[in-house]
Amino acid sequence: MQFSVRDLVNEDATRISRRCWSDPRVYELEKRGIFGRSWLFLGHESQIPRAGDFVQAYMCETPVILARGEDGAIHASVNSCTHRGLPVCRADHGNTKRFVCPYHSWSYRVDGSLATIPQENTLRNKPDKSALGLQRVPRVESWRGMIFGSFDPDIVALEDYLGDMRFYLDAFFQRFPEGVEFLGAPHRWVIDANWKLPVENQLGDVNHGPFLHAALISREIQERIEELGHSVVTAPGHGATFRLMPEDTPWQEVAWGMEGLGGQLGGQEVQDWLREVQARAAQRVGPLRARMKGLTYGIYPNLSFLWSNTAFKVSHPRGPGRVEYWSWAVVPAGAPDTVKRALRTNYSSFFGPGGIIEQEDSEAWSQQYRGASIDFTDDHALYYGLGLGEEAPHPELPGLVSVTANEFYARNFFARWRDELQAVEEGA
Amino acid sequence: MSELSVQTTPQEQRELERFYFHEARLLDNRQFQQWLALLSEDVAYIVPSRVNTQVDNRQRGREEMLSVERELEGADSMGAPLREENLFHLALRVERAYKMNAWADNPPARTRRIIGNIELLQRDAQQWRVLNNFHLYYARPGSANCLYSGQRRDTLSRDDGGFRLCRREVILDYADIDKPTVGLLF
Repeated sequence: MQFSVRDLVNEDATRISRRCWSDPRVYELEKRGIFGRSWLFLGHESQIPRAGDFVQAYMCETPVILARGEDGAIHASVNSCTHRGLPVCRADHGNTKRFVCPYHSWSYRVDGSLATIPQENTLRNKPDKSALGLQRVPRVESWRGMIFGSFDPDIVALEDYLGDMRFYLDAFFQRFPEGVEFLGAPHRWVIDANWKLPVENQLGDVNHGPFLHAALISREIQERIEELGHSVVTAPGHGATFRLMPEDTPWQEVAWGMEGLGGQLGGQEVQDWLREVQARAAQRVGPLRARMKGLTYGIYPNLSFLWSNTAFKVSHPRGPGRVEYWSWAVVPAGAPDTVKRALRTNYSSFFGPGGIIEQEDSEAWSQQYRGASIDFTDDHALYYGLGLGEEAPHPELPGLVSVTANEFYARNFFARWRDELQAVEEGA
Repeated sequence: MSELSVQTTPQEQRELERFYFHEARLLDNRQFQQWLALLSEDVAYIVPSRVNTQVDNRQRGREEMLSVERELEGADSMGAPLREENLFHLALRVERAYKMNAWADNPPARTRRIIGNIELLQRDAQQWRVLNNFHLYYARPGSANCLYSGQRRDTLSRDDGGFRLCRREVILDYADIDKPTVGLLF
C-alpha cells in the first residue's frame, strides 16, 4: 500500500495511523527526518570528568564514543574504524589514550583523530592520516552538564532547542548546590516495542498510572495528582508534568517525591538532607518552582526524565518494533553516599529493567506494538483527541498548560513528527 | 572467591539442599507468601549490574584480568545495581503478584528452576555463607520464553523454623538484557 506521511496523522493530530509505530518505511524516514535533524542526548559531564574518560552512546542506531580529550574538550565520534568499519571501543566506559581497532590495530586518539596505521611503515605512499579519523558528530553542545549531539551541522543552538524546557529542568538541576551526577553505567534493556511509545509515556501520560499500575498506585494518590497536576507543552515534542503544591504544604510533601518510600526507607540522614535542600529551594529556584513536585518530562525526540524517581532515559530505536532503552540513576552531586544510595534504590526498585512499576509499562508498550501491527486496521486510526483545545497560556508557567488528562502533549509531538517526516519525504 | 568449600557432613549438605529445593518449589508454584516467610527481617536482596569493562593492561597475563568481580556494579560500588532491596520491597512485589491488575503477570509466568552447585563457603555459630547456581526457565503466554542463568551468593541464618535467608546477591549471566523483566524472585 502506498501512503504519504500526511495520511498517517490528521490535521489536528487526533487520529494517528497505526503504521506510525509499525511500518518499516516510516522508520526509514524517521532515521533521516527525526534522528538526522534533532539534538540527541549522549551523556552527562559527570560521567567523563577526567581527560581520557569515555562512555558509549547511541544516536538512533549509530554507535558513538563520548570522550573527554587531553584538551579537556568533549568529543563525540562514531564508533567505527575508517579502515574496515569495526567498532574501536568495546567497553561501556573507561579511561584511555587510544582506541585500537582489533582487526589491523589502527589506533585513534580519544578526540577521534587517527594516530597510527601499523601497515604504513612498509609502504612508500603514506596515507593522509589527518583525513582518516573517526567520523565526527558534527555538533556537540552541553547545557547544565547534559551533553547532546546532532548530525545536522546547521541545527539551532542547544539552548534554543531546549527553549523553555530549561525553566522546568532547572527546577530540578538548580535545586542542588552542586548540580547532579549520573551514577555508573546506564541500565540498558531491550523491549519489543516502537521507540515512540516509551517517549509518549514519559512526555505527559500520567493518565495510565492508576489503571496500568493499579496494583501499586492507588486511586487516592491519583486523585491528588489530578487535583494538583499540571501538564505543560513548551514547544511541540517537549513537555513536563508536575504537581504544584499549595503554599502551606509541609516540606515532607514537596521534597520532589522523596517524601515517599525512598525518604522513609532511607532513614533519618536522608530525611534531614532532603529537608535541608527543600528549605533552600525557594532561594535557589524561586518560590514557584520550589513548590513544583515533578512527575515526568520529555525532550524531543527521545529523552525522558522521571523526576519522581530521579532517572533520565533514552529510547533508542532498533527498527520499528524494537527499543534499546537506556536509563541512568541520577543523584544530587555532593550528597552523602547514604543519600545517593537511597535515591538510586528509589529508582531501581520501581523503574529500570527490574522495576516493579516499569514491568507493567514494558508489557503495555510491547502489546501496543502488536496492536499497531494489525493489517486490517488501516482505516481505524488510534484516537488521540482527549481534551482537544483545552490547553491555554498560564500567568506564571511558560508554555501551554492544562490538566494532565489532556493529551495535547501527544498531539503536539505527532504534529511536529508528521511535519518533519513530510519535509524529508518531499525532499526538503 | 577461590577458596574450596568447607567440609560438610552429608547431613548438613542435605539440610542445605532441603532448604533450597523447598524454596525453589515455592517460587515455581507461585507460593510467594510462603517464600516471604523464609526471609529474615533484615534481608538484603541485591542484583548487581554487569558492565563491559575495559581490559586493564597492568593485569594482563593474570587471572584478575578476567575477574567476574570487575564487571559487577553491586551494593558496595557507587554505580547503579539493577536491584538492591529489603523486606519491604520484596513484600511489595509479593503483594502485587496477587492483585487483579498486575498486568505483566496476567496470565502469570510459568517458571521452573534447577538449583545446583550448592557450596558451603563458610560457617560460624550464626551464619552460613552458601553459593549456588540456577537455571530458570520462564514462559509467559503472549510474551516470551527465555532462560535466566546465574549464581546466588547467599548468607543464611538459622532458628527453630530452619534456615532463613539474610542476604542474597544474584549474579545474572546476561550480555544484553533481552528479557521481559529482571524483577523476578530469583
